[in-house]
Amino acid sequence: MPSVQDIIVLFQTAPALDSQVVAWARYEASKGTRIQDLVEEAAPPYNTAMEAMRDGWQVLQMSELKHRMPEDGYELGPLPYQTVLSRFNELQEEG
Amino acid sequence: MTEHLLNSKQMAQFVASGYLKFEDMIPKDLCQACRDEMPTFGGYMAVGSPLEETWPKNTPLGDAFRLPQVQGLIHSLIGPDPLYDHHAAHLVKGKQMKGPDAHQDSVIDFRENYFDIQLSFFPVDTTDEMGGTFLVPGTQYRNVRTGEIGLYQHMRGKIWATCPGGTMYVWNTRVWHGARSNHTDQDRYMFKLRLNPTRPQIRNFDTSDLDDPAIPGILNTNHGWEGNEHRYELMHRVKLWRYLSGQPDYDIGERFLRRIEYNPGQAAVA
Repeated sequence: MPSVQDIIVLFQTAPALDSQVVAWARYEASKGTRIQDLVEEAAPPYNTAMEAMRDGWQVLQMSELKHRMPEDGYELGPLPYQTVLSRFNELQEEG
Repeated sequence: MTEHLLNSKQMAQFVASGYLKFEDMIPKDLCQACRDEMPTFGGYMAVGSPLEETWPKNTPLGDAFRLPQVQGLIHSLIGPDPLYDHHAAHLVKGKQMKGPDAHQDSVIDFRENYFDIQLSFFPVDTTDEMGGTFLVPGTQYRNVRTGEIGLYQHMRGKIWATCPGGTMYVWNTRVWHGARSNHTDQDRYMFKLRLNPTRPQIRNFDTSDLDDPAIPGILNTNHGWEGNEHRYELMHRVKLWRYLSGQPDYDIGERFLRRIEYNPGQAAVA
């Protein structure tokens, strides 16, 4: 079977690749095209993006620092930073 | 009603975490009658109308939300004469699976010194496998557009309802939340009722313990996901606590609000 791209997104509150992961998502195309049953995970697959890199994940995107203005410097919204990582895995039959 | 009001520590917990959980809120016999009524209870009533006039009387669900302990909870958070916003009997059928579902209800909402509440009533024992609603405590100050946060599949600090029948959660409607898979054969209901205040939400709770030394620590709760954002979260919590408790100068710890408010030059210019 061919290898296809899996993605994990690690969300952080600082952009550094060694900052703590506080939320995460898996888009594992090797397993299927949608998540039918989200199984709860008590802890992230990696504590930092650096740990994921040590496990063969390749960084596709890391975040830039944000410039803060008086009008929105205290506003809260989505989690501010994310690292997108990719790894190729063998294609499986979609369940 | 006074005996059923929230105390100050509970209110501080609501301000910090955005929710409170009460087991045994609804008596067991009434729970069963409510469960039987849920499939046919009906859809939206008049949005924005007085709850007391709108909410059905002399039905199990009508009675459940008029119990003194429920009325005390409502009064503590949004005051007297609340408005009906909407209700829904959320059903996850047995063996119905759910993928990522994190969302913030309704539309993005920037109102300050204001929140609606949602009462979530679980009429039967709800186990982990039944897929009780999940919440991410503390996210109520983070404004997002409804379902765009579905990409946060997992977050540190996420909790979900596992509780005996008769449990009621009350939560700030802005808390990030969603449904979960039901791996059992049993249909799972969560009945929710959203309410609006009709007047400023100031000191509607039991304030006799307002100076309790535990309150700063409660407001400072770390749910696990805040990281470098924690002090910015804390500033929003302290702002809301100032308002709800009628203490406009309240601050805690390093006093981060003072750090941005203190400015002796401002008075000279004015």
